[in-house]
Order: sequence, then C-alpha cells, then structure tokens
Amino acid sequence: MLRKAMGFMVSNPLSGVVGVLAVIVVVASLLSENFLNSYNLVIIARSLAFIGIITIAQSMLMILGELDLSLGAIGGFCGVIGGILMVKLGLNPWLAFALCLAIGALFGLVNGLLVTLLRLPSLVLTIGMAGVYGGLNLVITKGVAITGIPADIGFLGSGKWLGLPVPFWIMLLFLVVGCFLTLKTPFGRYMYAVGSNLPAAKMLGIRTDRVRVGVFAFAGFLAALAGMLMVARLGSAQPSIGDSWVLAPIAAAVIGGVPTTGGIGTPLGAIFGAAIIGVIENIIVLLGVSPYWQSMVSGAIVVIAISLDSISRRYFKRD
Amino acid sequence: MAYLTVDHVSKTFPGVKALDDIALEIEMGKVHTLAGENGAGKSTLVKILTGTERPSRGRVMIDGQDATHHPHLHKTVAYVPQEINLFGNLTVAENLFMPFSRSHRGGLIFRRRDIERDAKTWIERFKIAAKPGDKVRDISISDQQLLQIARACTNESMKILILDEPTSSLTETEVERVFRVVRDVVASGCGVVFISHKFDEMFAISDTISVLRNGRKIDTQPASRLDDRQLVSLMSGQEVRTDARLQPEGSGGEPILAVDGLGGRGFEDVSFELRRGEILGFAGLVGAGRSEVMQTLFGFLPARSGSVTLEGRTWRLGDTHRAVKNGMFYLSEERKYHGIFPGQSVRRNIGMSLFRGTSRGGVIDARRERDQVGAIVRDYDIKTPTLNKNIAFLSGGNQQKAIIGRAMACDPRVLIFDEPTKGIDLRTKMEIYRLMKALAERGVGIILVSSEMDELKRCANRIITMYEGRISGEFPIEAASGNALIAAIHGHEGGGHAA
Repeated sequence: MLRKAMGFMVSNPLSGVVGVLAVIVVVASLLSENFLNSYNLVIIARSLAFIGIITIAQSMLMILGELDLSLGAIGGFCGVIGGILMVKLGLNPWLAFALCLAIGALFGLVNGLLVTLLRLPSLVLTIGMAGVYGGLNLVITKGVAITGIPADIGFLGSGKWLGLPVPFWIMLLFLVVGCFLTLKTPFGRYMYAVGSNLPAAKMLGIRTDRVRVGVFAFAGFLAALAGMLMVARLGSAQPSIGDSWVLAPIAAAVIGGVPTTGGIGTPLGAIFGAAIIGVIENIIVLLGVSPYWQSMVSGAIVVIAISLDSISRRYFKRD
Repeated sequence: MAYLTVDHVSKTFPGVKALDDIALEIEMGKVHTLAGENGAGKSTLVKILTGTERPSRGRVMIDGQDATHHPHLHKTVAYVPQEINLFGNLTVAENLFMPFSRSHRGGLIFRRRDIERDAKTWIERFKIAAKPGDKVRDISISDQQLLQIARACTNESMKILILDEPTSSLTETEVERVFRVVRDVVASGCGVVFISHKFDEMFAISDTISVLRNGRKIDTQPASRLDDRQLVSLMSGQEVRTDARLQPEGSGGEPILAVDGLGGRGFEDVSFELRRGEILGFAGLVGAGRSEVMQTLFGFLPARSGSVTLEGRTWRLGDTHRAVKNGMFYLSEERKYHGIFPGQSVRRNIGMSLFRGTSRGGVIDARRERDQVGAIVRDYDIKTPTLNKNIAFLSGGNQQKAIIGRAMACDPRVLIFDEPTKGIDLRTKMEIYRLMKALAERGVGIILVSSEMDELKRCANRIITMYEGRISGEFPIEAASGNALIAAIHGHEGGGHAA
C-alpha cells in the first residue's frame, strides 16, 4: 500500500525533489529556531533569486544537452559594463540596464553561434569564453569596483514587495517565462527533441541550430539580468560578481531532474534543486559550522540528497 | 531430459501480463525458434532465460536445477542482441575478449600479441573477414554480426546460445554466412534459441518452432510439420491476407522528382526520376550507398555534385527543414537513432509534427494535441497503454507506425522509406505495404529502399539497383524476376538497363 502510494508519487518527476526539499526544511527548522524567522527567510529568498536566475538559464541549456560555463562571467562583465555606462558615461540608468541585457544576450548568441557553426562541444568552448569575458572584465576594471551607481535602480536589487525581495519576484517572473517557453510552445518541444535525439530532430526538419542558438542567447540575457540586479543591490559594479554562479546552478538543475545529457526535466524542478542547495547553505551558517567546514558539509549533503532521490526512483519506479 | 526447461513461467509488469504460463524445453544440439509478432513476449522470455528478469511465477530449470536459486546457471546461457553492440574504436581481438578476465593473465595487463593470437582461432572458426588488429568500425556489418556471435561463444561455460534477429540488417547472401556459424555451434553440442521474423530463415535453420502470442505459448512443433500459412495464423490468431502484389495502380504520372548526376558521401553520378503515384524500389547490398543517396537528397548529408528538380523547380539540397516544409520526407532505417525521441511520451513524439494544427499564436493547445495524436494512434493502430507512455517502451512495430503516422501528418508529396519493415512482424508489414500503396494512389511519390527482394517485388513499380555507390541497373517490375536483377545487385555486367 505504502509502496504503491510512494510509487505514484515518484511517477511525478517533481515529487522527489519537492519531498527532499520538504524534509530538509523540516530538519532545518528543528535544528535552528531562527530558521523560520522572517528575516532569515528573506535572506534565503534573496540568495535564491540570483542563483535561481542562472539556474533557469542553465537548466534550459541542459535540456538541450548543452552547458554554458561562462554565464557567471557574462553576468559579471555585463554588470561592469552597466557600471561604466551609468557612472563614467552618465547614461540614463534604465537605458543602461536595458543595454546590458541586450549585450548579455549578444554574448550568449556568440557562444551559441560558435557551438553550432564550428560544431564545438559547449563545455570546452564556454570554459574558454568564460576566460575571455572574465579577462575583459579585469582588463577594463583592473579589479577595482565601480562605485556610485545611481540610486534610481537601487530598489531592483534591495527593494521589497509583499515582504519579499524584488529580485526574488523577478526570478519568479522569469521562471514562469522559462517554463512557459519550454512546456507550452513548439519551440520548447523542439528543445526537448534536440536534447533527446539531435539527428532525429534534424530528420524531422527541425532547425536544430536555431533552437540551440536561441537558448544560448536567452541564457546570456538572464545572466546579464542577474549581474545587473546584483549591481543594483550592491550599489557598485564589483568585478567579482558572478564568480560563484558557475557550479551551483548545474548541481541545482541535476538535483531538480535535468540531467547533463539533456532531453528531460523542467526549469521548475531545477529551481527546487536550487532551493535545496540554498537552504542547506543557510542552515550550515545558522548552526555556526566553522567556515573551514562549510563547503565540505554542504557538498556532502548535496551528494546525499541526489543519492536518496536516485535510489528512491530505482526502488519505486520499475517500468 | 532437456538441458533448459521453462516451467510454467509468468511475468507481470505493472499493468501488463507480459508472459502467461509459458512452458518450453530447450534441447542441446538443436535450433529452437521463437516465433511471434512484435509484443508477443519473446524479449521478456529471453530476459528470463538470461536471468535479467526474474519470473513472477514458475521457474526456469537449467541442468536440472532451479535457476532462481542458482543464478550462476544463467551464465551458461549466452545472448546476442539484435543491435550491433560492439566497441567500434577497439580492435576485433579486444572486442572478442573484453573484459579480458578469461585467461590472459588475470586481466590486469594484457599483451596485444597474446590476445591477437587467440583471436585468430575464433576468426577462422567463424570465418570473419577481418584481421585481429582491425578496428571494429572498419569491418562490414555482417562481419560485426559474426563477431558478436563469436564473442558470446568465447564464454566457455556456454550451453545455450540465444540469437535475437541476427539477420535483420543482412542481405540474403550474408545470412547464409551466419547460418553456417549457427550450424557449427549446434554441431559442437550447444543448443540455439533463434528469433526472427523471416519465415524462410526459420524453416531453413530450425528443428523446433514455438509460437508465442500475447504472452502465451500457442504451440510447439517440429519445423518440418509447419508451413508459412500455418505459422502466420498461429502467430496472429487470424488469417492474414498476404497479397502477392501491392503495387499502386496507375503509376504513370508525371515526374515529381528528377535527380541528375548526384554525388556525395560514398556514391557518385546517381540519376533517376520519381513519378507521381509510383513506388520506386532501390535494391542493393548493405553498404551500396542507397541510404546515403536518400539522406543526401533529403538534405541530411552534404551533396558534392549534381542537381535535383522537385515538381519542375530547381531544388536546393542541404536543408532538412526546407525538405519537410516542401513535402519531402525521409523515414530512416535507424528508428532508434534517427526516428524516435527516447524518454519522451508517445504524445510528444507524434505531436512534434502537428504544431501547425495544435498551436495557436505560438502556444500549444493541450486538448487539440491530445485529440490529434489520439486520432493518429487510432488510425495507425499504434498499441500503447496511454498517450503518455515513454515511446522507448513500445515495440519496434508500434514505434515504426508512430513514425509513419507522424510523417503522414505533414502531407508529404515525396516519401522515402528506408527499410521500413526491419524487425517487424508479418501482419504489421502487410499493414505498412497497404499503407504505402494507398499513399501512392493518392499521388505521393514513394521511394522504397529495401534489402528484402520479396518486399521490393511485392510493392515496387520499378526497381533501381545500386552497387558500390553507382546505379547498376533499372528494371520495370515485370522484368524484375530472375538473374539479371541479382547480377545487377552484385555488380556483374549484364545487369540490363531495361527501362
């Protein structure tokens, strides 16, 4: 009976990751009374907002069977470009913001064109491009932050609406956009087709290169968005923005049911994966784990979480 | 007593009874054929024999002992899968002895010279036309098939050899090579379980034939006591109409596709015309370049030279999107690699070509999609428990019907079938033949690439033969019997350009 009920739950691809998240939240609230405190929840929501936007981008690429390891570098570089446009050139901050999103999309487009036209593996190409974008960032800034970002856009990074940070709402908005695109449009179906079987997609007359380039560009746009929101929040364009946005979103997507091999999963699942990582990192800080141990402990918990998910799938789902 | 006894085995999967009270005996020194339509339970039975699946009820007795309690007994059952399952970048010798645990110094370090010397005896015994040091991807498909069998036989404890459609990608002359090896294995005292959809092969090689249908064993008979007609009705449970001739009527329409001097990967100077409403057959050996010609025509492979006109207009090659949009469709022989989207539901697989009718303003209407996919599933008699079933779990015949149904939804005017009935049972085959005929009679131009002479003679209005990348003859169907056609397939002079 229990087995049957569990089997039904596992047949919904999201229930595993939601279940793990629920367990972790319950355990976290038992371990620390500060966990469910509204101040703490806002902290979690804010960090989830930035990692979440990159996770949406990365999970859509992973559905295609691609990866972009330069998203963090694109975010950081676009933030710096935004700082220069606003502070050094005195451009209208809204115009600068929009320009930076376009530039991010352009960087993503370049990645996509290189991957499709030259038939390069995206993993290797984007490691290289991360060096290029990150390097340009350092050449321009010499490692020094650009301060004095106009206060007009400050609320985008540090404002609140209905008690939650504005970046979190923006992340939710683009989660809806990403899910709509992948699940409700022909373009989204083509993404799954490409990720599941590229030659078969070509044989059906799907323009596979356009689909791939399109998603790369969208991912670059989202990376720039995360970068600019971070600039708005900090009030300065730090060259180091985006440095920590590379591996966590990939882990989040895998935890959330999007394998690196592509073809299955959704951005929504990936966001739940990001939430799991976010909660784990938060509770470790709350419990006062020594900073030296933090990354080891959170890494180990991530490994345990994905193992539990995979084992329960194998045990309950026999098709 | 038989070496292996299947003792009233049943196997249930959630929602499906795959095997129902099967009883069989496999004897040493005999070839026992399992016959049945797609989805009859042959694969599940094989998995139980090899120990991959455990019976839900009943037991498998091997050498007088219950194999459920002695799993090591399953090691005496060697299995050769239908698909080529070799390491293409490794050598023939390495593939034979992978994972090197048998002899060869415990497998820790191996000396190339040692394994290549040992490989020689196997290569000679199985008459494989390759050297031990050749890379497997460079040897022919039939040699790869023989190598797979040889590899299974390197298992010293082997008593039973299971061959799952070992001939499905081979031409008739190559099949005989495999059969010689099978007879050799039987002569050495082992038992062979043989699975095929081709009747002539079953009768040529079997001692005993067991027929499965819907998970039950219908009958076991000595092969000599059965004929085609009886076997068909046992397998399908009804009379199957096997029309001798399924050529479309009135095939003298105007040319729809004209190919002039086409050259590309592995072929050159290919010229022919396809007329509206005809089925044009392409015959040849495996590797003659037929699939490459078709894939180049479709835009999947790059063309090197030549020109093509579609419905009187010059046709630019090299773009599958434009081909599909203009009504040209290619259905690949490689269902798994070029056809289905594994991991995706039947609904998403078929829905992939329906967006013109199922989406409004760029958004897919879920209900329209369900209705239209449902209609295709009904029309083409695709057997699936629900539309949300992962297509990878459907039988090959049902996958093929799904792919054809999906292509039909695009209103094709030129349709290229590449080995459309590979690994498909007779009843479904006949359905596909009748479907092709009906399409042609509606004015579609159809190209049929096939390695089965019987299929070509039954369906095609004309047959073009290819040999080593060139067209070697063209025959109207009335002239397609006899030696000239066979000669043209094998590249001998005298292949008549009758048309």
